[in-house]
Amino acid sequence: MKRYNIRIAGVGGQGVVTSAHILGNAMAAAGKYASLVPFFGSEKRMAPVEAYVRVSDQPIYEVGEVVYPNVIMIYHPQVITHGKSYTMPFYYGLKENGMVIINSDVDIIPDEDKKVLEDLNARIYMIPATQIARDIAGTELATNMAMIGLFFGITRLVNLEHIEKALIERFLGGTFVASGGTTALDSAIEKKFKKKQELLAKNMEVIKYTIKLAEENGWVETETEEVKT
Amino acid sequence: MGLEYVRISPGFEKYMPRDYVDLVKYGPFGKQVDVMQMGQFKELVEEHPMCAGCYMAYFIRVFYAALPNPEDTIVLGTAGCARLALSQAAVPFIYGNYGDTNAVASGLKRALSIRFPDKVKDVVVIAGDGGLIDIGFGMTMHSWFRREKFTTIMVDNEVYGNTGGQESGMSPKGIQLKMAPLGKKFDKINAVELAKTAGCVYVARISPTNPKRIAKTIRRAILAARHFGPTFIHAYTSCNIEYSIPTREVLADARKREKQDFKFYEWMTDEVKEFFEELERKEKQEVKK
Amino acid sequence: MPEQRVVEPEYLILEAPRERKFITGSQAFAEAVKRANVDVAIAYPITPQSETMHLVGDLYAQGYVKDYYRAEEEYGAMSAIAGAVRGGARAFTATSGPGLLRGLEAIASWPGHRIPAVLGIMTRVVNAPLSIQPDNVEIAYLLNAGLIVLHAENQQDVFDFTLAGFVISEKVDVYLPVVVATEGFFVTHAKGYVDLPPEDMKLPPRDPYKAPVPPTDCEIPPARIQRDAPVQKSNFMSYLIHAVWQQEVWSANRRAAKWIKHYLGGLIEVVNPDAEVFIVASGCAAAQGREAQRYATMEGLNVGLVKIKSLRPFPTNELREVLKNAKAVIVPEHNIVGWLAKEVKAAIPNSGIVVDGPRVYGGMTLPVELIMDEIYKAFGIKKEKKTVV
Repeated sequence: MKRYNIRIAGVGGQGVVTSAHILGNAMAAAGKYASLVPFFGSEKRMAPVEAYVRVSDQPIYEVGEVVYPNVIMIYHPQVITHGKSYTMPFYYGLKENGMVIINSDVDIIPDEDKKVLEDLNARIYMIPATQIARDIAGTELATNMAMIGLFFGITRLVNLEHIEKALIERFLGGTFVASGGTTALDSAIEKKFKKKQELLAKNMEVIKYTIKLAEENGWVETETEEVKT
Repeated sequence: MGLEYVRISPGFEKYMPRDYVDLVKYGPFGKQVDVMQMGQFKELVEEHPMCAGCYMAYFIRVFYAALPNPEDTIVLGTAGCARLALSQAAVPFIYGNYGDTNAVASGLKRALSIRFPDKVKDVVVIAGDGGLIDIGFGMTMHSWFRREKFTTIMVDNEVYGNTGGQESGMSPKGIQLKMAPLGKKFDKINAVELAKTAGCVYVARISPTNPKRIAKTIRRAILAARHFGPTFIHAYTSCNIEYSIPTREVLADARKREKQDFKFYEWMTDEVKEFFEELERKEKQEVKK
Repeated sequence: MPEQRVVEPEYLILEAPRERKFITGSQAFAEAVKRANVDVAIAYPITPQSETMHLVGDLYAQGYVKDYYRAEEEYGAMSAIAGAVRGGARAFTATSGPGLLRGLEAIASWPGHRIPAVLGIMTRVVNAPLSIQPDNVEIAYLLNAGLIVLHAENQQDVFDFTLAGFVISEKVDVYLPVVVATEGFFVTHAKGYVDLPPEDMKLPPRDPYKAPVPPTDCEIPPARIQRDAPVQKSNFMSYLIHAVWQQEVWSANRRAAKWIKHYLGGLIEVVNPDAEVFIVASGCAAAQGREAQRYATMEGLNVGLVKIKSLRPFPTNELREVLKNAKAVIVPEHNIVGWLAKEVKAAIPNSGIVVDGPRVYGGMTLPVELIMDEIYKAFGIKKEKKTVV
């Protein structure tokens, strides 16, 4: 059984919750399982945000926030450096043999924390996700895409097709039909749709890049590697 | 129904209670009885455990005689004096929880409208001042705001009679009652104005001194509710016990109050006015024929 | 809206082909209402229930539900449901925590009024200080009113219990309201897989004349015409009539068991009946228990799960049978009072084997790890804590 209980920590405006939905939708598109914990309360720009996702190739029963994750994803360096998180320290509750994915272009983990993570036999993957988003998509807003791309690159739970399906569902609303049959799309909708399509394509580019990044760095999990929960 | 269910199947007359047979034969089902003939027809309510000399009991008798379609009427009440008589009438009666009449009536009327879109099904709430204006206030008001098509009749005895004489929102200012040991400190609530503001299409205030007028008012309120929207009657029905009115002076008291704050008042929307003018013209033509 | 054809409840609930959808618990409630041929739905907002009744409002706009309105508050809503049902309609509403308690006077009178309806409960804390989170202590308030109370573990249960709830509720030998409770947010706002029968099918309409207590619609013979109000008679008549009426309500409640078995496969579900240690849970706690049972099995521990689907009628005999050889019974709950642990203890002869907990409250998540700790304790296993806490 492959099972990942993920805690995502980031700040308002980074699309933490959106990417949790995309993670879940991609699993569903692959015919696998995911469960999300809905987020409530108002999101404020740069204020802490957490989202929780469970993904597996087997049915998932449990619900609620992930208190003891085996995957922690840090979308913003300030989660660690400024303590911008509901969960402090950032590795709180991490289980043995888990992984931590961090968006940062410099090593920001204090030495004492490194020691704790080593004792837990945690894998740490650090990538400059914001830089990647800026370079490839031309916007920091795709940081979340870089992060989930890396997660799927490491875990290989779904393929590109599933991810694209999830993105379409999220950004084009699933039911959006490009060729409207006999009904011509009016220009406003067409323009909006075109913009959304461009956004989608850029997001996919970012995801493809970080998936490749996982492969190039030899981070891909082998099939036999069972994640103990 | 109506009538076919009220009527006794041929051959069963001898098995039915005498009381019921008389009700079908000499009662008001399927015909419009004249309230002035009371005593000459079988009434829908005859026995009740209300106090001797109770004017509310009298009002309720007249109410049942005035129903335009008793065989297709459902009455709702709540805790208080009125339900003691209402529950003993030969008209289906719903006795819900405290002050819930106008919410229950809303659900009931909607269900009946769905199930019998082409039939007359009159829904009438008769509850006291406590039930409608105190505990049930929100539900009373909101049924009017929502324009629910049923009639609300407040039998106002200005006191919680059934629980032993406590102050209600409709008690007059200054009156000393239980739970108002120093006298009531605020005015009688203006229910009639509230009803108009809240969207009732027909509103009346009445002191039951004239049975013909009571009957006409009730009939109008029910017909207007059937076709247009919520209707409201504020009736003075004194509590001779808590207000120490000698039995033989109950009518005199009603007349006195009629001259003071219960002067007959009738208000309706233009639409309802037109409806009654048309209806009454037709009725006159019928009589001529 | 597709044209819906009426099919038999047996077909719709038990036999019709089903298609898998990934939907929230609120959507699952609405999907059940969509297929239940509901006449009247009455809504009053409260988090986390609101979304369910928004969706039911959409069903009204589309024509699946015949009448719908936003009530003044819950007491009004619950009273109007009683009115609609007495008028012969099939009715649905839903509420949460404080809303449930506000409506409780009316709700607790439904069994006595013999109101067949379905009430959705999406749990939420009721005590001060204010919070919107899914503590389920409110279910304790429902257990002694004569209502049938089903507790849904997940989105699939929400759908199945709600759809079957209408049918069970209207059975002539039952004729009581059915509560379908589930945890707010954890189920209502999270997505799960739900196998749904086709949406172009619906239950037969309610037949209000197939009833132990007929509707108040002036369409019935005069037996219904009330010439007397018996409960206002002398004390002894009053005691007797009320006593007999209550006995009948609770007998009807017990008679619902056979229909719950028929449509929902039993009052309980048992995983690994030969286990040494059992987790007994209802609602979301059963989901956490199911996960713990799986982990324990992976670790070679002989652990079983009893999920209680029906809290009323309570599966006393079933529990006695399943737990007769258990050496420990763990009862995880989402409330501080432990109402389920009390019920379980009262049901079995050897209540000493019942472990009080683990419990979380205030709407907190119930981590599977807490249940695992109790399992290790029950087996006498000492575990070194490796997680950083």
